[in-house]
Amino acid sequence: MSNYHTENASFRDPSGFLFYKEDSLYRQVNRVYQRHYDHLMNSGLYDALVDQNLIIPHEEVKGIESTQPDSCYNIIKPERVPFIAYPYEWCFLQLRSAALTTLRLARVALDYGMILKDASAYNLAFHKGRWRLLDSLSFEIYQEGETWIAYKQFCQHFLGPLALMTYKDQRMSLLSRLFIDGVPLDITAKLLPFRSKLRFGLLTHIHLHAKTQTKYADQGESREQVNREFSQQSLQNLLESLRNTVKGLSVKTDGTEWAQYYQDTNYSENAFTGKKSVVAQLIDQVQPETVWDMGANTGEFSRLASERGIYTIAFDVDPGAVSQNYIQVRKDRAENLYPLVMDLTNPSPALGWAHEERQSLMARGPVDLVLALALVHHLAISNNVPLETLAQFFSQICENLIIEFVPKSDSQVQRLLLSREDIFDNYTVAGFEAAFCQKFDIIEETPLVDSERIIYLLRVKHSYNSIT
Amino acid sequence: MKFDIFFKPLGYLDPGTGSFIIQMILAGVLGIAVAVRIYWKKIVAFFRKDKSGGVQDELDDMDEYTDE
Repeated sequence: MSNYHTENASFRDPSGFLFYKEDSLYRQVNRVYQRHYDHLMNSGLYDALVDQNLIIPHEEVKGIESTQPDSCYNIIKPERVPFIAYPYEWCFLQLRSAALTTLRLARVALDYGMILKDASAYNLAFHKGRWRLLDSLSFEIYQEGETWIAYKQFCQHFLGPLALMTYKDQRMSLLSRLFIDGVPLDITAKLLPFRSKLRFGLLTHIHLHAKTQTKYADQGESREQVNREFSQQSLQNLLESLRNTVKGLSVKTDGTEWAQYYQDTNYSENAFTGKKSVVAQLIDQVQPETVWDMGANTGEFSRLASERGIYTIAFDVDPGAVSQNYIQVRKDRAENLYPLVMDLTNPSPALGWAHEERQSLMARGPVDLVLALALVHHLAISNNVPLETLAQFFSQICENLIIEFVPKSDSQVQRLLLSREDIFDNYTVAGFEAAFCQKFDIIEETPLVDSERIIYLLRVKHSYNSIT
Repeated sequence: MKFDIFFKPLGYLDPGTGSFIIQMILAGVLGIAVAVRIYWKKIVAFFRKDKSGGVQDELDDMDEYTDE
């Protein structure tokens, strides 16, 4: 069984677990979950979720040997999701969409006599243009009288971070990176301003919820000691109240520094169109399956890839730009483009138990092609990364690289140098080529019209990835 | 009610005593809150000139069934 390995993001739930066999991902359904799984499949819930694009579909597979046969009831193979992103990589609107989808999953499940037993933001994936549940084993048979077991988790993973982003700053989403099971409610309550208490939903689901948690934390009052029943109507009211609260939260999605970038830049119309056609041509030359556009802004160039049917991730550090991109993706019903918030100077690390629950950005690569357009000067000059170190990084995340060199004479670089000393003697075309040629071969080199910038197509040395 | 191991809800999450108790407390209140909100929304909608809900409403419609 050496070609088996267990996926370490799934160890908490005893209902089953994920494992890889020869690069395919499977999920074992444990016997302990048998009755719930059968109900999911036979009640019509699973079909309803697939029809409504709310779940990643799976198929039951035969002939796959289990690593834990004693506990095995069934083995299913979920449809492949090319890239798993995490809540701290989503902009406000994405987290809000995922929250509403989670509540909708809970409502639909109730119609079929089941309840959503966890409300982890990590269970949601943006796949083929829709938010979908990754984990088919997230439901259990509903028993009238039970409270919602995932209520705390929903508030920690969704409501708290959304409220913090609304009242404080969009970058508060990064708090989710510090706490593997969502932001604790006492912290959220302390960080939120007093006026958040004027909103009924936040007063109850965050502030009073946090207080009750603190009050009963040491008293050990068990669930059996409270004899009152929580009716199904109460549960529906709870879900509806959470939904109203989420829908009442919003942030401004334009007007941040970068969201207007394409309007403000010093590009001439000619240079911009020219750059687009050069990049498009190079993408066609590489014919990648997957593209990462690093520093994608609102995704203007990412679309050159995604509109060719290539699965494309558009990373940008600015949540405003990512929001704009996400809105456009949803309006276009684009299926291949996934905008994400990522600070390349400090990308997502490996997190959780044994550093294996959430993958670092680099562990989720390498990909066939990376776009690094109008990016190098930000990394090399604003962030002082030596060109050799940059080349090393890019050679680890891709096979092919389309990279734009922006020389010092360019007004964008001049702007970066205005407030600081120019200590970048080797930031020249020759210095750039020397640094990158340690790791890459230059395949194409195209100067942009009306500009002093150069677009390169580079290929990692010793790569067997063929370019046609 | 007693269930054997195969019938018992799995409950691997610790729902937290406080989270359980607040739901019990809210059980009575939320029904009223949800009803009040529906009427409040109708009143606001009646007086609001601009009926379009903007980008967020468009996204919401894609993410969830409109129950109304």
